[in-house]
Amino acid sequence: MQQSDIIGWGADASFEKRPGVPEERHPPKPLVEIAGYPQQTLGTPSAKSYYRPLTAVYGTAVPLRGLSGVIRRIAYRVPDYKPRRWMLLMLADRVDVIEHNALPLTLGVGAIAAGVLGVRALSKR
Amino acid sequence: MRALSYRGPNWVEVKTKPDPRIEHPDDIVLRITRSAICGSDLHLYSGLVPDTRVGTTFGHEFAGVVEEVGPGVESLKRGDRVVVPFNIACGTCFFCERGLTSVCDRSNTANELVGGVFGYSHTTGGYDGGQAEYVRVPYADVGPTKIPDDMEFEDVLFLSDILPTGYQAAEMGSIKPGDTVAIFGAGPVGLFTAKSAWLMGAGRVIIIDHYDYRLEFARNYTKAEILDYREAGGHDVVGRLRKMTEGRGPDVCIDAVGCEASGSVLNKVTGKAKLQAGSPTGLYWAVQSVRRAGHVVAIGVYGPPWNLVPLGELMNKGITLRAAQCSVKRYQPHLLEHIRAGRIDAKGIITHRAPLDAAPDLYHLFQHKLDDCVKCVLVPNAA
Repeated sequence: MQQSDIIGWGADASFEKRPGVPEERHPPKPLVEIAGYPQQTLGTPSAKSYYRPLTAVYGTAVPLRGLSGVIRRIAYRVPDYKPRRWMLLMLADRVDVIEHNALPLTLGVGAIAAGVLGVRALSKR
Repeated sequence: MRALSYRGPNWVEVKTKPDPRIEHPDDIVLRITRSAICGSDLHLYSGLVPDTRVGTTFGHEFAGVVEEVGPGVESLKRGDRVVVPFNIACGTCFFCERGLTSVCDRSNTANELVGGVFGYSHTTGGYDGGQAEYVRVPYADVGPTKIPDDMEFEDVLFLSDILPTGYQAAEMGSIKPGDTVAIFGAGPVGLFTAKSAWLMGAGRVIIIDHYDYRLEFARNYTKAEILDYREAGGHDVVGRLRKMTEGRGPDVCIDAVGCEASGSVLNKVTGKAKLQAGSPTGLYWAVQSVRRAGHVVAIGVYGPPWNLVPLGELMNKGITLRAAQCSVKRYQPHLLEHIRAGRIDAKGIITHRAPLDAAPDLYHLFQHKLDDCVKCVLVPNAA
């Protein structure tokens, strides 16, 4: 492969042309005082660590609910550097799927059971 | 509105949900015209990312038209066409002031690991995503970039994530003219990483994968060399790469796969059994392949709590390891100019377009690499 065949080859060869170099701007700009920045008030934060302050803006996608919500509440009281938090969240995810898809899952299991029983009945004929 | 809704692992549907609203004076509501499915959405789809709740709307690569504007927003008005970074960033905190918007301190109340992200579980803040007709966009004066009048939505759609992510990966590899760069993964991010490596003057670019059609696409689209690891002497991709580089190994190795990599039974089994956070085979091979004192970059997505990575090789070989979620905003102006100048044909990777209601089918197709799928784009509203 001839590099001259490649459109733009070497256009950013110089490190000065790369937007992320240096990784941190130097010198850093002075921090902006945002003490007066308005706080979001609509909706409840749907994931709030016990160890994090409430940020000015937060997500409200799916609120904590049911048994999975109880487990997640416990998880968010564990620091994020403890594996226990993540294990609890993964457990809650599985509980969430079961408790919020109860009808389709029941129908699915029911259909499989009916199929198995049907095959057994046929095999006995 | 119609929106994608997560039901459980490998199970999404499109349903009617309440329209998003202005929840903070600096919010906008965006009418979405294009929304892509990202490879990292497949990690959510597979149920691998902690705190992915039933009912969540995915989608962090989108562009659209401003529909509603909060009273505090100064730079945008109704009708503006914008492309939105996947990061939600305040623009003023300790990290944003340094250009590190991916780790904004004021957009994620859930943990200290990462800033807010659209539609990427409650671990990244619990914001609904853009695989929907409308989405709420916080900190609207900071993130969205106006689309120039002479450019179409699809020209710039991938400035939302995968193009800056690929570029940043190459940049973190500190590529010098003439370097050999190996990229694990011929997905969309791997393709843009390869394009970026050429821009930075790489001497050789090698893309490793195991899907024939993806390798062929990568060869045509990027002009890189390709390596099918299945043919590399029984998965001996490390040995093969060394042979290709005079025994040393590539100067830079980039993992553009993340936590669902194939190629190792051990990693696959332990990942499925939740003994580690998915399968880190791409990163494993990158560390093993790179030359001594080389650079390894991880941009494939990994989640907590841990993964099996060969730290002994990392240390003894004197490898520089860099990793990050991309701070998208700082790259957008530069990469927009590359697109405009014809150096990157970003929309050239799109293989599938479909209405929003077809999202479940596209997830299935993308997950199982059917129909020579490289990149899927949803069209929730006409432009």
